Amino acid sequence: MHRRLTFFVILVVALLIQLTVSPEISFGTVKPDFLLVATICWALLEGPAQGALFGFCGGLLEDIFSTAVLGVSAFAKTIIGYFSGELRQRVISKSVIWPMVIVFIGSIMQELIRFASWAMVGLEDRPPFSIGIIAGLALYNALVTLAIYPVIGHFAGGEERALMFQ
Amino acid sequence: MIERQNRRQRILIITLVIICVLLVTVYSRESKDGLFHRLQRFSLDVVSPLQKGMSTVLSPVKDGIGYLVDLGKARGERDRLREEVEELQDQVDETKELELENEQLRQMIAYQESRPDLELLAVDVIGANPDIWEQTIQIGAGYSSGLQEYMAILSEDGSLVGRIILCTSESSLVQLITDDKSSVGAMLQENAEMGVVKGEGGGSVRLELLNQDAEVGTGYLVVTSGLGGTCPSGIPIGTITEISERRADLSVGIVIEPRARLTRLSRVMVVVSPPPTTTPLAAEAGG
Repeated sequence: MHRRLTFFVILVVALLIQLTVSPEISFGTVKPDFLLVATICWALLEGPAQGALFGFCGGLLEDIFSTAVLGVSAFAKTIIGYFSGELRQRVISKSVIWPMVIVFIGSIMQELIRFASWAMVGLEDRPPFSIGIIAGLALYNALVTLAIYPVIGHFAGGEERALMFQ
Repeated sequence: MIERQNRRQRILIITLVIICVLLVTVYSRESKDGLFHRLQRFSLDVVSPLQKGMSTVLSPVKDGIGYLVDLGKARGERDRLREEVEELQDQVDETKELELENEQLRQMIAYQESRPDLELLAVDVIGANPDIWEQTIQIGAGYSSGLQEYMAILSEDGSLVGRIILCTSESSLVQLITDDKSSVGAMLQENAEMGVVKGEGGGSVRLELLNQDAEVGTGYLVVTSGLGGTCPSGIPIGTITEISERRADLSVGIVIEPRARLTRLSRVMVVVSPPPTTTPLAAEAGG
């Protein structure tokens, strides 16, 4: 029950921040993806299944509250949430740098999956592919992780907290 | 137990992916008035007041970030402008140098036209002697350019600077008229009274007249007499600025201010022709 409530609260708060705060703290066109950061942080604490579920719900809500192709963000975040959870079980180090590195890589992967998906559905007015913007987004998300990961970790159960990166 | 958990995880991820693919497919195929498109429009309507409110609240943060971004751009702009200023300053310095050079060359040409009997060669000054006891400069031409020792050196306006005392293949050492070993045959332009101009080592020169009773006054121009064979006659040396009382040997102390600006020489003229015929007065005297 505690886990479900935490899941729901984090999801709603991340969505609200994504919709309201994120556009206000953008650097040029680069704005942080709080839902992706929350997905990866949740996956790192709760494992692949929870990560995939969080990513799916977060991505779907993001799609609903935007004009993007419905299901694309959900798809990308589901995959990233799952693999982030899988990765946690293979990283022995407890350095806090790891969540940042995983978010950095996850951000790049998400954008690549989104561009590939848009290309596959034949979306005509898709944005121009820019390595610079993707790298900027990945870096911004990695920095945001420093603030979000401890907050999400605070709500995690005792067992999960023992696995936290310090 | 773990295997069952893994199987459940796999089923979950596959189910979620299939749902996503179905959503993408249905969304892409439905019209703009389809269910999912309408859902998106409704959601945006719901969330827009919230976004507007948050935008107002966070506007100082946004302004702060904008300021930071602008600051980064401003730094780049500042560096670019600094480089541009440096480049322009270099150009201005170069232009000033060229103007000065042009002026010097004009003066030299004008002097050459006024003295067709002299063959002159313009040479750059390449250095000064660091020894405080020797008033010499180094010029950038030597034997290979037709120069030889005891040739007279003039400033750009044709005033006497000194003479060459040492000549190498590519450079020459010039003894200034202010050097205390320098002696030049001279005369007063006003009354043609003859004398010798000797350096005093400190930046001034003095005139020793042969006729101690000759008429002399401040402001008189002293020119070379041509005697001694090193300097052609009629070249201005300087103006008399001070006449002291008769000394114990009954001679009159006459101080001359050199007309050539000896401390600011950058280019000089060498009198190549007529060439020096005899050794200078100081050399004759063993100086």
